[in-house]
Amino acid sequence: MGVYAITGGSSGIGAKTVELLKSQGHEVVNIDLRKCDVEADLSNPEGCQKAVDELHRLHPEGLDGLICCAGVSGACGNLKLIVSLNFFGTIALVKGTFDLLKKKGGTCVVTTSNTISHGAARMDIADLLNNNNDDEQRILNLVSNMDGTNLSVGNSIYVSTKYAVARWMRRHSASYAANGVRINTVAPGNVNTAMTATMSANAKMALNALPIPTKYGKETLMDPEEIASAITFLVSREARGVNGIIMFVDGGTDALLNTEKVY
Amino acid sequence: MKPVERFIEVIENKDFAALGALFTQDGHYCDYCPNGTAQHEYHLYGKEAISMFFRNKFLFCQYSIMESAILNDHQAEFIASFGGYNIMAIATLQQISEDGHIRRLTVRPK
Repeated sequence: MGVYAITGGSSGIGAKTVELLKSQGHEVVNIDLRKCDVEADLSNPEGCQKAVDELHRLHPEGLDGLICCAGVSGACGNLKLIVSLNFFGTIALVKGTFDLLKKKGGTCVVTTSNTISHGAARMDIADLLNNNNDDEQRILNLVSNMDGTNLSVGNSIYVSTKYAVARWMRRHSASYAANGVRINTVAPGNVNTAMTATMSANAKMALNALPIPTKYGKETLMDPEEIASAITFLVSREARGVNGIIMFVDGGTDALLNTEKVY
Repeated sequence: MKPVERFIEVIENKDFAALGALFTQDGHYCDYCPNGTAQHEYHLYGKEAISMFFRNKFLFCQYSIMESAILNDHQAEFIASFGGYNIMAIATLQQISEDGHIRRLTVRPK
């Protein structure tokens, strides 16, 4: 059985992934703010380093997998947090554990969003994240000056971070695989979580206008277990031939809205 | 009301459910106009997919029509707006089932 580290494993998709991996007999190290094995705030470099150090202390022999689920939505009202956690926190953990994954021929799954295909990303922000991520503080200053109270701005920044994470994975996937570490991305659709259960009527109407074909006529969202199942597949030996993909786990929303995007 | 008139009516009313119901179970909605915008053309198969797709487009104001005119029993023309990018379009009901549902509808730039 393997040893897996997961970020954001205390709730939602992450919690369900922890549950599935444990049910398969694996050991799981959950990195989160609370109710976890390693408490760390992944929205700042110090917190990321703490998590990386702790994983090296706990498992110097290496990791079989790293799964990055930690993130916040575009509606959180804090643009800096969206960028620092969703993008910088994610790639810091992947980079920081690469040596541990390499030791065991491990694999990595990062979580993005099916909204990356909807054209709502601020591509200037996504380009800055991918091409200038050494300038972390300047990018954070830039987004901090935007209007965080505007939901559409929050959403566009959120999508930008998810787009950048997916592109970062694509750019690094060949090199990682050549070093024995597979890396892939899961792009979930809208998932039933505590947050979506309590959202406003207007927000729910917007969510339902992103139809989920597998849920046709039910006015419901994806179940966290549906996403977690895809993640556990990608980290399994059965997926050993899979590298560098963005797997849309959205019940077919992306295919519905983008029929002509085959590749 | 003829199918082509009904088609224009439901699109103008942004009634995605009624739009889907105009088609046969495997009906095909094909719109080549988006090629003139930054989008891909639309190829939608099945009345449920057509309904879901336009629910999204209507709510997010990504598709509407104006200045429509019925040309004959099978054709209508209108200005289609793709998120604000306007294209003069002509819709043709290519195939109709015996019970009056649309099997294939194409929309092309005029």
